[in-house]
Amino acid sequence: MQALSCKKALGSVQAFTARPQTSVKRANLQVVAVSIKEVRVRIGSVSNTKKITEAMKLVAAAKVRRAQEAVVNGRPFAENLVKVLYGVNQRLRVEDVDSPLVAQRPVKSVALVVVTGDRGLCGGYNNFVIKKTEARAKELEGMGINVRLICVGRKGGVYFRRRPQYNIESTFEVGQQPTIKEAQAIADDIFADFVSQEVDKVELIYTKFVSLISGSPVIQTLLPLSPSGEVCDINGNCVDAAEDEVFKLTTREGQLVVESEQVRTATDDFDAGLIFEQDPVQIVDALLPLYLNASLLRSLQEALASELAARMNAMSNASDNAGELKKSLSRIMNRKRQARITTELSEIVAGASSV
Amino acid sequence: MTLQVCIMTPDRIFWNDQADEIILPTNTGQMGVLTNHAPLITALDIGVTLIRSNSNWNPVALMGGFALVKQNQVTILVNEAESAQTIGVDEAEIAFQEAKTKLEQSQGEKQRVEATFVFKRARARYQVVKQLGV
Repeated sequence: MQALSCKKALGSVQAFTARPQTSVKRANLQVVAVSIKEVRVRIGSVSNTKKITEAMKLVAAAKVRRAQEAVVNGRPFAENLVKVLYGVNQRLRVEDVDSPLVAQRPVKSVALVVVTGDRGLCGGYNNFVIKKTEARAKELEGMGINVRLICVGRKGGVYFRRRPQYNIESTFEVGQQPTIKEAQAIADDIFADFVSQEVDKVELIYTKFVSLISGSPVIQTLLPLSPSGEVCDINGNCVDAAEDEVFKLTTREGQLVVESEQVRTATDDFDAGLIFEQDPVQIVDALLPLYLNASLLRSLQEALASELAARMNAMSNASDNAGELKKSLSRIMNRKRQARITTELSEIVAGASSV
Repeated sequence: MTLQVCIMTPDRIFWNDQADEIILPTNTGQMGVLTNHAPLITALDIGVTLIRSNSNWNPVALMGGFALVKQNQVTILVNEAESAQTIGVDEAEIAFQEAKTKLEQSQGEKQRVEATFVFKRARARYQVVKQLGV
């Protein structure tokens, strides 16, 4: 209920600000035509809206902090995983790894995993991801490749379901805190798709968290995994998995800022005496799904952080806008009040002089 | 109490405690680890691990991953871990039966792969609450 009313109020702010931009004269005329009481009511509604947008901004800021905590909690796991992956790879250098998750096949069909938010009111966040997906789908179809969509988050699902030209494989909803269960469900789906050879490549489109002001939608290849666990973008540029960026929300001089730091996991070889209980290939088989899940979870967390940051920005802009609107409206009201007093005074003076 | 057992999931550290013995559900059958075990790495199937401290056995459901044994430190990395306290007995049993029938009725490669995963997980949960295999 609250969300609904707040959306309405916001709509009125946007409509209100849009008018003076298109035709200044008309807006002035319109305001002149209304009574002081109407202007006063409007000021009231604008300041209420401002309160709501300000509150939403603060809520988003608090949630960014929680999202960041989730990333930090996942660090020990990621560090250990990378360490072991590295060690196993050192041993496997001479052998050919033949795991179903690293199988490179000629690409005939591609699954795109699209990560959007569940809600709007966050600026262009959802739109950017959707546009990027459409562009990528077009590009792939141009190459004669079949495209399927796996939508994560409500907004993307709603958008693509309305357009029959897209083949939607499945949709997921993540909510306000992505957990390993959700990542697991998505990973299971794409794992089954890939292993049963229904798709030959899985790409992930999500918003990478850069800073509070900017997050950019990126495309990353999820499957086939490279055996050494590198993260690759679609152009084949790979980043070493041992390097990781952790972001931290802090305050500097009263402003919220994000600091990101490069973390490098110490990777060293296993001691020579280490027993491989199974075939090394089988161990890689157990490692890679884990890696897939962890990186998927990480992407979901980053997408959520970007969404919240985008919402924070949008709401901060809306608050500023409402403040400005309030100022100009009260100027109009004061002018009107002054005009009325002047008229009344001149009437009294005129009446007195005529006596 | 000289074995340090640490179970990690992607979102947190699930278990970090001393133990006397641990039985791991490896891909090639169950394997017990006591103190001063030789360094070892093993893949873990979806199944139940049993951790013994003194004479208490603690069952934990592990959803696939691997374990690294090194200098009396057992590091287990899994997708998901659940202990008996967080699983309802009745739900686990129902889920187990459902998964079983679903697996038996599955057709096609994709359905079978998915159903197998679901079945294995449901079985691990069920075994934990029933404390089977102790």
